[in-house]
Amino acid sequence: MTALSSSIGRKFVMGLTGLFLCFFLVIHLAGNLLLYVGPEAYDHYAHTLHEQKGFLLFAEVFLFTAFIIHILLAVRLSRDNFAARKVSYAKTSSKKGGRLAASVIAPEVWMFWSGAIVLGFLICHLGDFKFEWWWGNEFASSGSEYHKASIILRDPRVLVVYCIGSVILGVHVSHGLASAFQSLGVNHPKYTPVIHWCSIAFGWIVAIGFASFPIAWALTESAATH
Amino acid sequence: MISPVKKNLSLNLRVWRQPSADIPGEFRNYQLSDISPDMSFLEMLDILNEQLVESGEEPVAFDHDCREGICGTCGVVINGQAHGPDNETTTCQLHMRRFADGDTIVIEPWRARAFPVLRDLVVDRSAFDRIVQSGGYVSVRTGQAPDGNAILVPSQDQEEAMDAAACIGCGACVAACKNASAMLFTSAKVSHFANLPQGHPERKKRVLAMISQHDEEGFGACTNTYECEAACPAAISVTHIARLNREYMKAMLTSKE
Ligand code: FES
Repeated sequence: MTALSSSIGRKFVMGLTGLFLCFFLVIHLAGNLLLYVGPEAYDHYAHTLHEQKGFLLFAEVFLFTAFIIHILLAVRLSRDNFAARKVSYAKTSSKKGGRLAASVIAPEVWMFWSGAIVLGFLICHLGDFKFEWWWGNEFASSGSEYHKASIILRDPRVLVVYCIGSVILGVHVSHGLASAFQSLGVNHPKYTPVIHWCSIAFGWIVAIGFASFPIAWALTESAATH
Repeated sequence: MISPVKKNLSLNLRVWRQPSADIPGEFRNYQLSDISPDMSFLEMLDILNEQLVESGEEPVAFDHDCREGICGTCGVVINGQAHGPDNETTTCQLHMRRFADGDTIVIEPWRARAFPVLRDLVVDRSAFDRIVQSGGYVSVRTGQAPDGNAILVPSQDQEEAMDAAACIGCGACVAACKNASAMLFTSAKVSHFANLPQGHPERKKRVLAMISQHDEEGFGACTNTYECEAACPAAISVTHIARLNREYMKAMLTSKE
């Protein structure tokens, strides 16, 4: 708890929760890839997972806690950081080399906002798959998880929201992963460049990986109607 | 290399003018002509001030002392960049040949809550002094000078400590950081001592006190954007911030105080 009383402590916990959430993304993506293997594989995976009631509850509570801490710290840190400069500059220009690094769209410049968009996406996503808020009638007929996923994924609204969400998530983790290591104090001339590039690759994998599902379903859908 | 002869410059300056800390400031435009490209940036400001004195206006206040990149007193934001466009260069080392004839140059003070503007381009950087006072020192016995070789320091550690000690405390890291964070400065001081045996006895106390002072002064937190490193005239690397983070968490978790 005392760790949260200082700027470095907060960043440290931010990095820890961030790394854990990245780890979760890997597991999640791996599970999702079973959608491409076929209905049996995916349903089998879903059922086995859902049977582990105790583990699932533990994992969900842990995950939820990590999310909440990560979000609350983001709000706190951003507020402090914003307050640290009362009068802004008339003009700003980066001294870092590189085109992207110098631009206003560099991931590290808008982490709070990319995080906020990811949160919105997460809420939509939980509304679709976990709470089934807006799919009540369509799901009544089938108990198959694969079938459920197919109904959701072929919706054009889902296509738009999930593509945007996945890309922004990719942008967020592309800085977040490497940044977490720095906040945890891991910086070494040999490994830091590797971590940097792995982080960017991870961002691409997350963005393409998660966006691929609604895209694949949209493609099969349009192929089927022709 | 002898630089090719370049013709003298005419410039439009947009300079932040603020009579004192509690009076709001504003930008004012000034025209300068016949500025030699071989002049330093501060010499150009001297010319501006001579012109202002002649016309009866208050000269622009700016900090400077050594004018050779050692003292860390000078430092303004030039066209949105701390110490201007060159890397590893202080404002006093910047030359007018970096600008083109007819350029508009926007000159602002460091902007941070912890660095209030005192007048025009001069800010109060005593927050840095208070961070150093809180722990940026080693306690030594007074009396005769100790034997230089009494404590042996491995040359690699010594090199790293010296890299950190190169910090001149100018505040460009704070000025360039989007969070006005002083982590690069603080990390340089912590890293300097953490790398030397002389710094070890007070290691935990030091880092905890310095970070608590850093936060208290109203500097932001580090979001690993690394603008500080790019703006630093002494080329202090962000690896020192990682070391600071390690030192801090180690001290936090194991300190008995
Ligand atoms: S005047 Fe001393 S560093 Fe510029």
